[in-house]
Amino acid sequence: MSVEIRFPVVSKNPGATGVVATWFSRDGETVVPGQVIAELQVDKVSIDLEAPEAGVLRTLVAEEAEVDQGDRIALVE
Amino acid sequence: MTVTETPAPTTRRLSTAKAVSEGIAQEMERDPAVFVMGEDVGAYGGIFGSTGGLLDQFGPERIINTPISETGFIGAGIGAATEGLRPVVELMFVDFFGVCFDQIYNHMAKIHFESGGNVKVPMVLMMAVGGGYNDAAQHSQCLWASFAHMPGMKVVVPSNPYDAKGLMISAIRDDGPVIYMFHKGVMGLPWMAKNPRSVGPVPEDAYEVPIGKAAVVHEGSDVTVATLSMSVQHSQDVAEKLAGDGISVEVLDLRSLVPLDREAVLSSVAKTGRLVVVDEDYRSYGLTGELAATIAETDPTMLKAPFTRVANPDVPVPYARSLEQRALPTRERIEAAIRSVVGA
Repeated sequence: MSVEIRFPVVSKNPGATGVVATWFSRDGETVVPGQVIAELQVDKVSIDLEAPEAGVLRTLVAEEAEVDQGDRIALVE
Repeated sequence: MTVTETPAPTTRRLSTAKAVSEGIAQEMERDPAVFVMGEDVGAYGGIFGSTGGLLDQFGPERIINTPISETGFIGAGIGAATEGLRPVVELMFVDFFGVCFDQIYNHMAKIHFESGGNVKVPMVLMMAVGGGYNDAAQHSQCLWASFAHMPGMKVVVPSNPYDAKGLMISAIRDDGPVIYMFHKGVMGLPWMAKNPRSVGPVPEDAYEVPIGKAAVVHEGSDVTVATLSMSVQHSQDVAEKLAGDGISVEVLDLRSLVPLDREAVLSSVAKTGRLVVVDEDYRSYGLTGELAATIAETDPTMLKAPFTRVANPDVPVPYARSLEQRALPTRERIEAAIRSVVGA
């Protein structure tokens, strides 16, 4: 079973675009709960994204790609 | 009994900024004498992320935001260090050193000498350096030679996350004053264009990287490129590109200017016979001239081609992007210099 990871809704502006600035963990790598797997940015605020559970990371968007807040950006399988 | 094992992560990577703050945090956990002071080091986590997360972990008594008063808070840091604490003080940009250089050079660097070694100053003064993001003449300099020129302070300049954490831990544990200069371009910040080399593997446990030891980051046999900081990343990129053209480049990351690992430069040049020094500081009276002198004093016949340097010209760093890119030691300039000395 896989767990979805969505871009958190951080900005009160629903139109604010999110960016996955850095993937610290790459597609296909094993991650553990609490591990910081990405640094996200929206409206000049940076957020660390932690792995929700153990498994293999499947990234769904490229680094620097723009996404909407709430979009699905990765899976942990 | 069944034990469910947690799988180990494949690779733990950090940006250089996170590696710096992790190094500081681990030393703060280990030693209650360590504390941090500077402009916006608290909730903001440092303008370039060097103290990210530390306020939440350690609170405002050990992560101290200061007013814009560099002479005051650097002086306070020196006083704390002489009384047995181990301050990590941040000067936001090296370019601002002019307002506080008396504290740095006449006090931080000299108290140890003037007291006959009886009063130690175990202080780290960290600061952001470098250009490449159009921040103009008063926010884009490296200036490391100015600190390295004057005796009394170690000067370290990491180029990647692994070294950044290890050098910070070594700097905090050092009993003398250490200038720790991080280039904004190597920090791996989310809001600045970054080279992938600014994010890399970093062990979770604390470790030291020795101050004064260079590292060969790309082995080669035709030409030695001796450099530091952001220019290491550019030189590695160029070395990988030129390998495809049959040019074998050895890239030496000096990692610290004081002490300077002259032996590493000499032993690499003994192998390659050619030396290109890449330095984002001003061309005259700096690292490039120092390494030319080191070769000349040791054995001028080591070189099969003229000593070559790629540095900022002796003008303030321009604001206009097109002009700034002409001034900085870019990949294009590094490649041209290498091709020139190997005759290709």
